[in-house]
Amino acid sequence: MENSHSPKILIIDDEKGLRIGTKRLLEGEGYYVETAENGYDGISLGTKTEFDLAIIDLKMPDIDGLQVMKEILKAFPDTVCLIATGYASYETAVEAIKFGAFSYIPKPFTPEELFQKLSQGYSRRELIIEKRKWKEEREERLLEVAFEKSRLNTIINSISDGLLVVNKNGEAVLFNPSALKYLGFEQIKIEEYVIDKLPPQIAGLINKFLPLEKCEQKSFSSQVELKPNRELFVEATSSPVANPDGTLAGVVVVIKDITELKKIEFLKSQFVSMVSHELKAPVAAVYGYLKLFSDSSIHLSEEQKLNYLNRSQIRLDGLLKMVNDLLDISRMELKTVSREISEQDLTVIIKPIIELFQMEISKKNLIVNVTVSEKLPHLHVDQDEISRLFTNLISNAIKYNKTGGSININITQSGNYIVTEIKDTGIGLKPAEKNKLFQEFFRAKNEKTKDISGTGLGLSIVKRIIDSYSGKVEVESEFNTGTSFKVFLPFRNGNNNTEQKADKLT
Amino acid sequence: MQSDVKKKILLVDDDVDLLEQNKVLLESRGYQVITAENSQQGWELFESGKPDAAIIDLIMEEHDSGFVLSYKIKKDNYGKTIPVIVLTSAAYFTGFKFSASTGEEKEWIKCDEIINKPVVADELVKKLESYFASKES
Repeated sequence: MENSHSPKILIIDDEKGLRIGTKRLLEGEGYYVETAENGYDGISLGTKTEFDLAIIDLKMPDIDGLQVMKEILKAFPDTVCLIATGYASYETAVEAIKFGAFSYIPKPFTPEELFQKLSQGYSRRELIIEKRKWKEEREERLLEVAFEKSRLNTIINSISDGLLVVNKNGEAVLFNPSALKYLGFEQIKIEEYVIDKLPPQIAGLINKFLPLEKCEQKSFSSQVELKPNRELFVEATSSPVANPDGTLAGVVVVIKDITELKKIEFLKSQFVSMVSHELKAPVAAVYGYLKLFSDSSIHLSEEQKLNYLNRSQIRLDGLLKMVNDLLDISRMELKTVSREISEQDLTVIIKPIIELFQMEISKKNLIVNVTVSEKLPHLHVDQDEISRLFTNLISNAIKYNKTGGSININITQSGNYIVTEIKDTGIGLKPAEKNKLFQEFFRAKNEKTKDISGTGLGLSIVKRIIDSYSGKVEVESEFNTGTSFKVFLPFRNGNNNTEQKADKLT
Repeated sequence: MQSDVKKKILLVDDDVDLLEQNKVLLESRGYQVITAENSQQGWELFESGKPDAAIIDLIMEEHDSGFVLSYKIKKDNYGKTIPVIVLTSAAYFTGFKFSASTGEEKEWIKCDEIINKPVVADELVKKLESYFASKES
């Protein structure tokens, strides 16, 4: 035998001589042979392991050969069975074949007859095995395809972008929940015509492809406001889907939520227009004075001239400061990634600021008191930022103070916060002004503030810094009496927080 | 100026420098000028001063303070009879252009004229004079 493994053959016969003779004969030919001397033994052997071939005697004392074959075939339908019979007749042959035998061998048989039958049987067996292998492989592949498909669906369903595929007729063939959400559909059916249900801009993106016969590799996208007032803004992109022969199969639309981006864009453009307005005002003021100077039809007194020069200088000073503040704000926005956090003692930061303003303080005859509670914990902060925060607040307390007034700075601990109160005896705020205090470019405008220069950005910077440390700020103010700012900065951070949680649990 | 009595102009602007400049400009052209630095003051001065015309800056406390004040003046029995001009640089920085030239605009913008900043003195004076002239004829 050419096969790498020897064919396994089972001989079931009650005739001992035939069993042994045939076994010896076949083993000599390279078969692996087992024998059974009666029907029941044959069944138990033939149903326990799968044999390639079985030669079964038709007439046995205990049980009929056809019955034995039936049992074996029940367990292993691919075992090729040959019926051996001394009563060879047309009827028995037909009956054996009917019950599933491959062939029959009339007894007694010559070795040649036996070999011929067996080799025919074994060819059959090989075919069966081949067929079985193909079938298994095919089933495995089908399973793989099904698995692949469900995996693909899971992936498509889990992406946050909306995905909608339509065929050439404009019918939906594939979509995910995000697409339904963005398009505001409760549900759509596979193969439902959807073009007329889509927002016109998105339908338009699909219709650019549908009339085409050939599939052109390009895509179109469009930003669509699906809900007004920047509530839902998406970017839809359509691309063609091609058949293997290059013709158009359908169109895929990807819908991306760009609402946040649009919101930021809007805020940015608002900020830019506000900034340009604020930058323009001092330029216009100085420009106006220059025009008065150069207008020969207008007579200006020496006093007016001096005053206008002075005002021009003040406005230009303000402009410069504003540009510096704007640079600070933009630097601060970038700095969120490159802060230098270290342990800082707040009093060490505040003392030099007061020294810096010594000239302004003595000019206005102000009294500055600083009181600090004992054993205050240190903060984990960026020194420059915190210094900037209190510089702005102390500068305000000086600028808006009365001559001969006072500034009281009080640093205490309250819960997880270090609280710094800066209280002045200045012009105070009207209730309506208090709410706008931290807005960019807001400045209290009244008869008392008109000669005080400022950019309107100082407190906005203060708020930005405090927010970035998860702190808070409180303002109390009475018009004409004074204003008090309370800055809360948390001193527990990182590891301390987890300790705190652990405490709660125990 | 044909009449001997100087026409009285109310100027309202929250920018003290522009207020001063426009005051000097108008005074040099022979007007009497009264000034206010916000809407509230402007309204009080309108009531007490009975000006012959009002020139109001658009953006003061709010982005539309000028319109609000001019609306209030135009609803007043006396205010109805005087020209109200709103000054703005809004068209410049928002790219959003508007004027009070069409009927529809006059319907909701209760002022006679919108003039873009920076103010050209001769243009402003010409506008004022044509209002005064049409009133007297």
